Amino acid sequence: MTLSSLLILAAALVGIGLYGALSQQSFVMLMMGLELIINGAMLAAVGFWALSAGGVPEGQLLTIVVMAIMAVEMALGFALVVAVYRAMQADMTEGLGGLKH
Amino acid sequence: MGRGAGVVRGDSVSWIDLAFYLLAGIAVYSGWRVFRTDSMVRASFLLLLSFIAVGAVMLLLGAVYLGVAMFFMMAVEMMVMALFMVMFMMNPAGLNPMNMVHQPRLAGAAGIIAFVALAGVGLVADFPERPPAAGGDVVRILGTELLGDSMLVFESAGVALLATMIGVVVLSARSGRFGPSDDGSRPPGLVPGGPPAGDPGSDASGGGHAHHHHH
Amino acid sequence: MSDVLLPTLAVLGTLLAGAALVAVLDQAAAGVIAGGPFRGRLSAPLARAALLWLRPDATTEHPDALLWRLAPAAYLALAALGLAVVPWSAEFVPVRLPTGVVLWGAVEALATVVIFLQGWAPNAPLPLLGAYRHAAAGLSYILVSMFVLIAAALPAESLAFDAVVASQEDLWNVVRQPLGLPLFLVVGLGIGVWGPLRFADAADLAGGTTAETSGPRRLAWALARGAMLVAFSAVAASAFLGGWLGPWLPGPVWLLLKMLLLLALLVLLGRLLARIAPGRFVGLAWLVLLPLSFADLLWAGVLALYGGTP
Repeated sequence: MTLSSLLILAAALVGIGLYGALSQQSFVMLMMGLELIINGAMLAAVGFWALSAGGVPEGQLLTIVVMAIMAVEMALGFALVVAVYRAMQADMTEGLGGLKH
Repeated sequence: MGRGAGVVRGDSVSWIDLAFYLLAGIAVYSGWRVFRTDSMVRASFLLLLSFIAVGAVMLLLGAVYLGVAMFFMMAVEMMVMALFMVMFMMNPAGLNPMNMVHQPRLAGAAGIIAFVALAGVGLVADFPERPPAAGGDVVRILGTELLGDSMLVFESAGVALLATMIGVVVLSARSGRFGPSDDGSRPPGLVPGGPPAGDPGSDASGGGHAHHHHH
Repeated sequence: MSDVLLPTLAVLGTLLAGAALVAVLDQAAAGVIAGGPFRGRLSAPLARAALLWLRPDATTEHPDALLWRLAPAAYLALAALGLAVVPWSAEFVPVRLPTGVVLWGAVEALATVVIFLQGWAPNAPLPLLGAYRHAAAGLSYILVSMFVLIAAALPAESLAFDAVVASQEDLWNVVRQPLGLPLFLVVGLGIGVWGPLRFADAADLAGGTTAETSGPRRLAWALARGAMLVAFSAVAASAFLGGWLGPWLPGPVWLLLKMLLLLALLVLLGRLLARIAPGRFVGLAWLVLLPLSFADLLWAGVLALYGGTP
């Protein structure tokens, strides 16, 4: 389990998450793509902390803060999904065209 | 397991490597299947599986608190996500094949480019090789850091979470700012753009939104 | 190899024997409350289990077969995971994890997921209703459990269960933090789908998540629920009743006695208290139990700061 293999795994998760975030029409699936990206980033952070940064505490702190951000993103994302659905009956990204040219 | 905070002992390298490859395979495969499966509930729990695999890798790396906290947080988050899936997705059980994607080639290309770029950096760059000091209590170090030098960061995160909680309730509460928030809302039509589904006669407070409100 | 084999056997053996014991205690409690000697023989649960094993395995239309098979197995695996971090004596811990308390929290969260899957998989309305009701309650009591466990871990200054047990050498947590164990018992009833918090398998839903289950699957689910109660009682005994600590008998025997006490208490509560309406319980959890758990944590903090040596 070297740092390179960990980073490849993290890159794979980020890639799949980016594919999901860009390709899914539904809000909820889009958020799942974002979650995967953050997942990859957290894994990379812990990998660096364990194998390359000598266990410095800021590594764990970064991961914990990113976890908190993930919770914030999910909660607000779902609240927005609910609010948008109530206002516009839209549960897909195609349904929101208000800011288009 | 009987390990301390250290990462790898000389005689158990192969066991940990094997576990890591297995978990990596599970994480990537289930992460990919999230966007390929028809059943939406399965998609959210496949994402949970991916997160659990990553959390287990963190445990293998010696981050004992972070790995278990990942299990905990992601279980609750994916539970909520599954509930939202059933609320907002049209095919939660996957009984019909479904493929709701747009710009699939662009997304695929972006994903592959991101993977190649990041993996390239990971392979080519020369990162220093500094394992943590053996025998340190990882959890104690984390706790001292959180409430010591980085207390400001931690408390700001706490305040941000409080703001999130208030914002979420404000955005999605049934009693909106200017009246009931689903006032005048109608269910979508059975045909896109068609008349609203359900009884066309019932107008006021119809909505038909069967909210699970056990009050 | 005995490094792995002995703990595995200990954990699995305790779970299976304990689950059978829970069925027997439940039967005995029902008999005693009905006002007479034990109704039926104490081996009646085993007979019922054999009958369930032989019954045909009915299925529904388009169930999620993988998840339906997975749910009871995953539930049992979670119970095993929770029991594995509990110390049996000063030397013997099946899995020595520095963050055992957080792992138990993860087990509780994943138990909610598994119960939801058990209700989702049959693709039928009554099981799904049971799953939804349980999800609402589960997301409510999990915070209560976490605060109460943090309060129990505070005197130990560690998140490992062996440290939590060792910190109770002078005084058990049930005396030091009186609110802890009652609140934790509520959580235990919840994750075991038991008694007043039996939303997922409720009788008013014709059995809820088990409405469409029959035969070996039903047996597996009942076994898993009993096993979860056993794991919960081990964790509660370690966190609040001093675990393996005790004067004359060896450590594991004390732990088993305390587990037995808690199991009897849970079974009695299951038989004596009626099932709460789900909405009422959610309100109760957020408005009463959560502030009480805050108060418990605050009290533990005050004791840690000003109470001298714990």
